[in-house]
Amino acid sequence: MAATTTTTSQTTLDIYESGDAALRVVARSGDAETNWATVHSLAGWLAATGVEGIHGAVPTYDSVLVEFDPYLTSARQVRAFVLLGMRQLDFVGTTLREPRRFEVPVVYGGDYGPDLDRVAEHQGLDVEDVIARHTAKTYVIRCLGAPAGSPMMDGPDFPVPVPRLKDPRLSVPAGAVSVAGRQAVIAPAVAPGGWCVIGQTPLTVLDAAREPLVPYVPGDELRFYRIPAEDFGNFAGQFLEARP
Amino acid sequence: MTGSLIILQPGHSVVTDLGRTKGPAYGLPVNGALDQFSAKAANILAGNADNDPLLELTALDFRMRATTDLLIAVTGAPLDLTVGGRESPQWEPVSVRAGEVVAVRGIRTGLRAYIAVHGSFTVPSLLGSCAPDTVVGFGLKLVEGFRLETRTTTAPITQPHFGLPLFRLGITKPAFTTNPVIDVTDGPDVAEFGDTAGLLFTTQYAVSPRSNHIGLRLGGALPERQLTSEVLSRGVPVGAIEVPSRDELLVLHRGRGVTAGYPVLAVVTSRSLDLLAQARPGHTVTFRRTTVAEATATHRTACLELERLRQTINTVFGLLGIGAGQRWYELSPASGA
Repeated sequence: MAATTTTTSQTTLDIYESGDAALRVVARSGDAETNWATVHSLAGWLAATGVEGIHGAVPTYDSVLVEFDPYLTSARQVRAFVLLGMRQLDFVGTTLREPRRFEVPVVYGGDYGPDLDRVAEHQGLDVEDVIARHTAKTYVIRCLGAPAGSPMMDGPDFPVPVPRLKDPRLSVPAGAVSVAGRQAVIAPAVAPGGWCVIGQTPLTVLDAAREPLVPYVPGDELRFYRIPAEDFGNFAGQFLEARP
Repeated sequence: MTGSLIILQPGHSVVTDLGRTKGPAYGLPVNGALDQFSAKAANILAGNADNDPLLELTALDFRMRATTDLLIAVTGAPLDLTVGGRESPQWEPVSVRAGEVVAVRGIRTGLRAYIAVHGSFTVPSLLGSCAPDTVVGFGLKLVEGFRLETRTTTAPITQPHFGLPLFRLGITKPAFTTNPVIDVTDGPDVAEFGDTAGLLFTTQYAVSPRSNHIGLRLGGALPERQLTSEVLSRGVPVGAIEVPSRDELLVLHRGRGVTAGYPVLAVVTSRSLDLLAQARPGHTVTFRRTTVAEATATHRTACLELERLRQTINTVFGLLGIGAGQRWYELSPASGA
């Protein structure tokens, strides 16, 4: 079965079957902000209601993947439940919590950001201008991505999208600060990667001793600021934490 | 009383469970036993809860020594199991006496086997699961000499003089084959592949050696996306079939990154994901189209089979005084007695 479409006063939803244990719900309002707020509110509502058989929801930009146990419930039941959630949100409005703010020190370029020069050249900017644009913006964390809950953000105001590396690296260090396309991200853990690494933060983003591992949630805000390479060691052992 | 065992030859083994179902909401893959049916069956046969920690062995031979009396069950791909040198049955509970070596050799036809121990293991957990996550760096590293603590010991219940297997429960083992037929449902983006989507059902695909718990790579005729527009990152389900390159089909399994920007051509059913977990490099895979309703029915039939097994085990173990089941003297009298 293809998508079923439902329209509420806020937005139009397409619900797609995604196997026997998941549904993809896509918001189609025509406005990216509204779509994003809708799928994240829906994910929050699903998590808060804690229905038997629903494992959880993975919201990104305009869609949310709802995963469930096909023994305890079914695609049909979950679909009905999603629609109930949308009617509920229609009534109370999309409520996202007050954003927290994070400030992230970054050493740009050199060994810390081996792709900085390449990005500058491709953008037709000088290196200082790339850094200035990257530190100028307050980023909204749009969703948690792979690997390990990476904070996915809309990228800096660059003239053109940043192409991915032709040969992805087998290992990018934790704390790598990268850009690709129109997106920006910090790597919480060592992983392979094809994004352009322009810097690195000395802060520890992922704490395996803490649940849920990373300190931010979608909707939180983040800014980068520049530090000199010799200060990198001063932050050793410090965790990324929300500004009080 | 707590028991323990010592790993003598780890091969490629991990302690896992049915997975970190809370993980994807935090950007972590679900992971956990790749062949869920075999893992659940092992735990049930050992008198455990379905989701209790157990050993998953991949491809390589494995040996461990019981330091206390234990009750184990081994499921998954066909293999040679010996306990204290005695040939022992797979897919049945087996008693292991203190000091005896449990050896698994020659895993064949499939790729993965499971060893559950009655009382399970005391192991660290993250977001409600002990399943290893290689990206986060979570999970026990099983090396030679590693001691696993079990929550209970079980007095020997095999026939002591002849070592005959005591249990003949006769579970219907799943069939293992080198050319499995894998059921899939249409993916949410199937339309983007136009007529080429049909190639998925007319091609024999070869399992590539680059396959792992993250995904299987399959060589063969590839459906091709007809659009060039960029795809926003989306949550992708376990079982998603993508065509990320011109070389291979990618079938995501339980170690998959939670989000990706490739269109989803089809999704493997829950039951067939267990079969894919047993596919070795060189095996050939064919795909068959089904519906979500049929896939759900098939999955539930398998679950009910496991439920029946659980009832049998509860009765047998109860009579033998293993675990918390009913004892024979606690059963209600048969009618007419």
